[in-house]
Amino acid sequence: MSVAAIINEDQRDCYQELTNVAMGQAADRLARLLNAYVVLPIPKISVIENSDLNMALQGATSDSSVSAVCQGFIGAGISGEAMLMFNDASFASLASLMKYSGPLTQSAELELLMDTASVLIGACIHGIGDQLEIVFNQGHPVVLGQHCDMADLVAYGNNGWDKALAIEIHYTIEHVNIECELLLLFTEESVRALNKKIDYLLD
Amino acid sequence: MSLNVLICDDSSFARKQMARALPKEWQVEVHFAGDGVEGVNAIREGKGDVVFLDLTMPNMDGYGVLETIRRDDLPAMVIVVSGDIQPDAQDRVKKLGAMAFIKKPIDADKARSVLTEYGIMTGA
Repeated sequence: MSVAAIINEDQRDCYQELTNVAMGQAADRLARLLNAYVVLPIPKISVIENSDLNMALQGATSDSSVSAVCQGFIGAGISGEAMLMFNDASFASLASLMKYSGPLTQSAELELLMDTASVLIGACIHGIGDQLEIVFNQGHPVVLGQHCDMADLVAYGNNGWDKALAIEIHYTIEHVNIECELLLLFTEESVRALNKKIDYLLD
Repeated sequence: MSLNVLICDDSSFARKQMARALPKEWQVEVHFAGDGVEGVNAIREGKGDVVFLDLTMPNMDGYGVLETIRRDDLPAMVIVVSGDIQPDAQDRVKKLGAMAFIKKPIDADKARSVLTEYGIMTGA
């Protein structure tokens, strides 16, 4: 997907490894919350053009009906955006693992979505920050939509950038039907600052 | 004859980090593998008396390597070094025969304490 690379292969490898560690920490938190085993994939690191976001998101979940939250974060001259997308079919299992009793209303689903998002996004961002010695401050989480079409979400993520570093993590929970995708986006300017930190680690 | 140590991880950054974390005075021959298949081959070639093994890897993951070691009775002491720090993951690898589990990111202190605790490196 990358046209002009804003990261080289060593840097890509390093981003992947840092993500691997951070997503493991996030998965551990989620596993303890749900009392289940979170299956960890190899995270995908790519440089995407604005127009590719659609494709990145379409590949994110197997279901077209999704619910999503986004949360910005900032620190050390770096700003990024985290998006967590849940396959809507996940909520029933999520509710049962969280011992959520009562009917699964839209507001109940929202609560499950926000609880999970705060665990996964927070732990992942701090996990990456810790390894790079950056303290990231998180903004307020924003619900992008519930039960909406992936295409509607794309419109949100498309704002104000041409090229970005995308880190995609596809989480699934063993034995149950829970599937979500965490996408971290860093714009070119932030990637330059991140690359300096990465190069220091690679040195 | 010096001990052969194999570092098996798909990330070159992680392999380098692991190699740096090994105690300086430990007289060993260090080998590298980029995935589970390479790792098993290296162990068969006698390059893995001690193996530092990642779990999430393409081609064959760390679980696959542990299963192969057990099935074919390969001589390797395996220390899993992983970012998957879920209690379940640690249980599973121990059941598959891993000697120890180290949480990533690795550092020199963690490496030294495991190597001495399990008597892999003596006199340190």
